[in-house]
Amino acid sequence: MRSLIWAVVWKEVREIRRDPVTLSFAIILPLLMLYMFGSALSLDVKDAALAVYDLDKSPASRALIDAFPHSGYFVRAHEIRAEAEIAQQLDEGKARLVLVIPPDFSEKIARGQTASVQTLADGSFPPTAMVVAGYAAAIIQNYNLEQMSKALSATGHGAAHFSPIELNSRVWFNAPLKSVYYIVPGLLGVILMAFPPLLTTLAVVREKEAGSVQQIFVSPIRPYQFIAGKMIPYAVIAFLEMLMILAAGVWGFHIPFLGSLPLFLGATTLYVLCTVCLGLLISSITRSQLVAMLLALMATLMPSFLFSGFLFPIFAMPEMLQMYTYMFPARYFIEITRGIMMKGIGLEILWPQFLMLMAYTAVVFTATTLLFRKKVV
Amino acid sequence: MMQRGRIAAVVRKEMIQFLRARFMLILILYMYTGEVLMCTYAMSFDVRNLPTVFADFDRSADSRLLVERFQSSGYFNIEHMTTREAETARLLNRGEAMAAIIVPPGFSQRLAEGSPAPMQLLLDGSNANTAAVAQGYAQRIVMDYALERSRASAATPLPLAVEHRPRVWYNSELRYAYFMALSMIALAGMMVGVITAAAGIVREKESGTIEQMMVTPVTATELLLAKMLPTLLVGLCALVPSLVIAAWIGAPMRGSIALFFLFSAVFLIGSMGIGILIATVAETMQQALLVSFLILFPILFLSGTVVPLESMPVGLQYLAALSPLRHYMDAILGIFFKGVGLEILWPDLAAMVLIGVALFGGSIVRFKRRMR
Repeated sequence: MRSLIWAVVWKEVREIRRDPVTLSFAIILPLLMLYMFGSALSLDVKDAALAVYDLDKSPASRALIDAFPHSGYFVRAHEIRAEAEIAQQLDEGKARLVLVIPPDFSEKIARGQTASVQTLADGSFPPTAMVVAGYAAAIIQNYNLEQMSKALSATGHGAAHFSPIELNSRVWFNAPLKSVYYIVPGLLGVILMAFPPLLTTLAVVREKEAGSVQQIFVSPIRPYQFIAGKMIPYAVIAFLEMLMILAAGVWGFHIPFLGSLPLFLGATTLYVLCTVCLGLLISSITRSQLVAMLLALMATLMPSFLFSGFLFPIFAMPEMLQMYTYMFPARYFIEITRGIMMKGIGLEILWPQFLMLMAYTAVVFTATTLLFRKKVV
Repeated sequence: MMQRGRIAAVVRKEMIQFLRARFMLILILYMYTGEVLMCTYAMSFDVRNLPTVFADFDRSADSRLLVERFQSSGYFNIEHMTTREAETARLLNRGEAMAAIIVPPGFSQRLAEGSPAPMQLLLDGSNANTAAVAQGYAQRIVMDYALERSRASAATPLPLAVEHRPRVWYNSELRYAYFMALSMIALAGMMVGVITAAAGIVREKESGTIEQMMVTPVTATELLLAKMLPTLLVGLCALVPSLVIAAWIGAPMRGSIALFFLFSAVFLIGSMGIGILIATVAETMQQALLVSFLILFPILFLSGTVVPLESMPVGLQYLAALSPLRHYMDAILGIFFKGVGLEILWPDLAAMVLIGVALFGGSIVRFKRRMR
């Protein structure tokens, strides 16, 4: 009865070919996403605008101020002359950080007292504000350390009491700390969860809306044959999409690929089957294309974006939501792709993820077949 | 010419059709409530309790104090202690630890002698943002320790040269949740506006009833207005529970609620304008949905809702000026966090109105062409 499956596949392929919008959608959107996340969306803080309100105007204050642009994280954007300007700079979003140096700054330092400086950060976008505030604190602390070592050598205590610790940081798996390196392996999990289910869902629900699915139910075709026939073309498209993203990532963005390619392709095949099945599952419980699309968005794209560790680290979520992430296959798949591409590890460590993905696919496929069968009898 | 009776009849029809789609209503409500709530809890770039392994080869008072410092900072959670090099590598590889702090032998002796004492921090870069933030925290903890140790060991405790008084404006606790709540409300409006408007018109196109509407005295403008009204009303009503959620999680509301609703209405109309324009191009429901998706995606992410605009390439920043979502996001952040009013936000309002007028002008021209 295999020819029946091929009949459905062939029919679907002809429908896809007739509809250039769908096909171009399947090709353009992943590339667009890759570009956006690869180069446009970056949380890296570089050249944050710094406004300075220097009431002291002394060599000491200038030394501290200069330390900011020297760090490479800040650019001096504005010289504030009146107190009212502080609010203006922040309200209009012209400065990310305002540094205020009081009039007695150099005097206090010269007398060996503690001078105070204030920084005002724009907190309306916390992730970058956090990093900006961190840089500012580190720059000021560094200034403190320098002053202290100067003071200690001046008083003759010498180096004996100065205890510098050198913290050598090294980043594993992503030495240059580039966002693209971890975004692209994660993006594979999101994209393959976003489009293949959407396209398959629409393919089935479209027939439901048009009523042609009734004709299929009265034909000799079995539910699993119909499902397999609908699945195969979209699974193939999804697999090609994956190869496209991988090629663009490795050649376009120079992302390292440390692990085994066959293992990677195996994982992808499994994941693609899983996502396409999820799409079919959604199509079996909806009747209109609009609802199907929104449901697909919320059941596949949103969770794979939010609860997979793609951008938002899982360890930082509340305990309940951490458990929730186990419900979505994207989590397992992204652990696999990052493991293979960035860490170069293989099955010896990743077998639980593979196992979970397999179990997931099997459950979804069975559920879909059962739901379709119920409609027939 | 518009006629009140005529337009009321069309609005009635649209209202009935809209409210009959129960499942759609539930979905819309969910986007404005469940999704907002979930995302504010789940989406966070905060680095807290980072699973950490501490490899102590020194076993001194200094290294023990450092462990305590790292643990009590709240940023790191020392889940594993080890004295074997291979163990740290194993934990990092398996993802069981995302940071490793390594104190080499002789660390405290070097400190006592006053010679530079090296120690090492290994970070899992498979989330670069987390790694960058954690690196900053670690640096601060270690520097603090070094500073205090130096000060304490001097014969007369030395004063700090500079005391840093940091303050954060608008969102003083740096809670990403506040930002996320507003961002999700804006995203919900964008999606609901575009998709319902596009779907509402294409449905009639597919079933052919739009031709029937066009031979009636109802004009294209009246038809579009009637199509938009239900979505606008439902969208504005759905904002009420979102506001309750925002207040419940503690997001500050410093500005005027009336202004917020004004901006929301203009924004919803603008996003429906995008949907209607899509509907004039698409022939089938599938096309309409896929095209809206294709257009929504860049708009959603390039409007300062997930990451700030400043971090994007300049060309894209100019492009983002065309997105109603970007202006809306700007405005509601201003209203909620900064408490500013129209005197500062008027350019955003003007831009949204301009974008809306352009979209509707385009759609009506296309509709009229179809009728001829």
